[in-house]
Amino acid sequence: MMDVLSSLDITFFLLTALGALVGIIFGAIPGMTATMAVAVCLPLTYALGLEHGLALLLGLYVGGISGGMVPAVLLNIPGTPSSITTTFDGYPMAQRGEGERALRICIVASLVGGLISAVVLFWFAPMLAEFSIKFSYVEKFLIILLALSVIASMSSNMLVGLFSGAIGIWLSLIGTYSLSDGGNGKTRLMFDFMEPYLFEGFSLLPVLIGIFGISTVLIEAERGISGGLKGTNVEVSKEKRFSLSVFKGGITNLVRSSFIGTFVGMLPGVGGSAASVLAYTQEKNLSRDSSQMGKGAPQGLIASESSNNALTGGALIPLLSLGIPGDSTTAVLIGAFTLQGIQVGPLFIPENQDTWYVMMAALVFANFVMFFLMFYAIKHIAKVVLVPKYILFPIIVMMCVIGAYAINYGIMFDVWTLLIFGIIGYIIQKIGLEVAPLIIGFILGGSAEVYFVKSLESFGTYSIFFTKSPIAVVLWGLIAASIALSAFIGFKSRKRGMRNVS
Amino acid sequence: MKTSRLTFGLVGSAFMASLALAPIAAAADGPLRGNVRVVIGSTSTGGDTYQNASIVVDALSKKLDLNMKVDAVGFSSAYRALDRDPRGNTLMIFHDQSYLGHLYGVEGYKDPFTNYTVGPTIAINPGNAYLVPKDSPYQSLDDIIKAAGEGKTIRVAIQPGGVSEIGYTALKNAIRIEHPGAEDNLVAVNTGSQSDKNQLLFDDQADLINGSVQANEQYTRLPESDQKAMRFIWLTATSETLQQAPENGLGQTDRATLLEYAEPNVKVTMGGDKNFAFDKEFFFLYNKKMNPAIIKQIDDTLEEIYAEGAIQKVQKKSFFIPDFKPSSKAQSHLKEKADRYETIIESINK
Repeated sequence: MMDVLSSLDITFFLLTALGALVGIIFGAIPGMTATMAVAVCLPLTYALGLEHGLALLLGLYVGGISGGMVPAVLLNIPGTPSSITTTFDGYPMAQRGEGERALRICIVASLVGGLISAVVLFWFAPMLAEFSIKFSYVEKFLIILLALSVIASMSSNMLVGLFSGAIGIWLSLIGTYSLSDGGNGKTRLMFDFMEPYLFEGFSLLPVLIGIFGISTVLIEAERGISGGLKGTNVEVSKEKRFSLSVFKGGITNLVRSSFIGTFVGMLPGVGGSAASVLAYTQEKNLSRDSSQMGKGAPQGLIASESSNNALTGGALIPLLSLGIPGDSTTAVLIGAFTLQGIQVGPLFIPENQDTWYVMMAALVFANFVMFFLMFYAIKHIAKVVLVPKYILFPIIVMMCVIGAYAINYGIMFDVWTLLIFGIIGYIIQKIGLEVAPLIIGFILGGSAEVYFVKSLESFGTYSIFFTKSPIAVVLWGLIAASIALSAFIGFKSRKRGMRNVS
Repeated sequence: MKTSRLTFGLVGSAFMASLALAPIAAAADGPLRGNVRVVIGSTSTGGDTYQNASIVVDALSKKLDLNMKVDAVGFSSAYRALDRDPRGNTLMIFHDQSYLGHLYGVEGYKDPFTNYTVGPTIAINPGNAYLVPKDSPYQSLDDIIKAAGEGKTIRVAIQPGGVSEIGYTALKNAIRIEHPGAEDNLVAVNTGSQSDKNQLLFDDQADLINGSVQANEQYTRLPESDQKAMRFIWLTATSETLQQAPENGLGQTDRATLLEYAEPNVKVTMGGDKNFAFDKEFFFLYNKKMNPAIIKQIDDTLEEIYAEGAIQKVQKKSFFIPDFKPSSKAQSHLKEKADRYETIIESINK
């Protein structure tokens, strides 16, 4: 291994660093994602060769996933789908003038998550790949169901939350039941004239950016510009400055969330957003005091960001040990190997030891570059909230529109989706529905359906969900505990509220 | 001072602009000009469509001195992008799925022969394969046909409506011919990605899966005790095509071994002495209204590229068989091929 590492040249490290920087920029622009950054730069692997190409692409991957935290915290727009839970606590903190502190917490959590997952990848990849194939359709459905159980604990009114979640799931089912998911390729939940536009359903990112970003702009616009012009509300008091002491008592959360991220990352098809949602739920259910979560609690940021960066190592586990990408970005990354005519399968690591060490070096280095780039630049980036809103908001809307148009390489309907969901986001907040459960339902609904239907098609009985394997039984235990804890927490907070009123 | 700065700025801008426009000017000799986007019918950048398109587009882009980029947008978005652009700045590369999807009646697949202009073929992937678990009781495709004839249910994991399904249809047809009435014992398990098909085999939810030499060869080298171990049982490519593959095959499975799984060693009857075989071919699709001069330009340029011989080495390295046919030849060849498979699909649907 040392031979391989000592043969790495300065170009390798420069390309990794460049990748991380460009990735952060992609991740930070709403609508641009790590997947897109990797896809755009994929053809460069022809010119760069495999090792240098991988250095650039892995830098882009780590940077892209991390960069999503910036608009999530500062603008309430998840830069990438997996940073959706970062908005829950990041934006309230930014509104309290703690944007810089929130971002630094996110950066440290991201570094720890990324490194833990890299260590797990390096030492346990083949063993974990063996474990990941124990997860059939049934277990994957139960993992999604566990992530969906967050809806119950996240809502201020459980019934309204569940209703909002159901609407989100319903919206996710519009379009075809895709052949590439083993479906029948038929469209549903729409009129015939909508087919040209909604054949593949609503695109995830325009919906996310619309419902979070555009609706926030609309609500702020309704309030008028006089309130937020001077930017005095973002001045940071000394006691609110970032300090590592914020992680005191949060180490368990940090490590647990990193492992959840790695674990979900290694399950192909479950999706990155499920990782941060799952880590967030577990912190909400298991921490001693989760009453502030959703209102600007650092523990929420730690859970969200450590888990979503841990995805990087996790998603590489099935890619390099089975030839199966763990998430959408590694699905693009596999192209770097195929373009070079290299097979990726269960014998990839033993047969390509040099490439394996090179990838590990790039992954670890990219995490450190991401940390240093963001930790020291964040002071300046955080000042974005000081920009007067009459300048900032039009720029945000413009960037959202460009991002939505670009996400599927130039589909105008995605821009309409963005604007429609911006208005829907505004209306649902006005009529008292809950945005977070709705969007979680939307993100997870599609996979829940596919795995549910495929489980029934494969096994032909409902009882299989309970009897398939010991893993399924454990997952049911976790789902039951999650729902019971949410009900208990809800009951406690209602009691506290009533006591305060009396 | 102001004037000199302004002059300097203007000269500088003009120089930069001339640099930026230089490649376009150089490339503006032919009818194809500006930036060219090549959309493909698959969303995967790890699959054979992206790989083949990248190899050819890279060579075309260098030869024509044009900025060309492959976008993996999937069939629905690709057709829409192609429909919008008759200028020739959007081209499409896809494979037999384009007409098979239509023949199977999959929503969104229009007849490519009437709605688009079929362009030149570029390559064949001879790796379309069917696999069983390594410890499967079925040693050959004959065993499977026989078992189905004896009333055993055989579950085949495929992605419906295309290249993955055509082998299944042919196998069903062969069972119908050899054991009339027993074809219903061959059951399709509709699934999506290769990972899902593999998983069904690991879970013992399928007896046979569709896969490829490229994606599954490493699995065939695992020991039998491994839950993930598989065995090739059928390669749908013609033996003539497979003969053109590099002698050492792919990974550690050489060409001679692969030939054992293809016709005539493996027979899937189509009636009489005709056997089924299927070569997965990649080709261009154009907007119907695109300038014919562009079609000729691409044909001529590809002819030059293939005559030079370098592209063949790149294709073969990735286990693809070079297969250049200019547009007119490709159109008649693919139409004849589509008609042949239409007969099989119809016979099984009767």
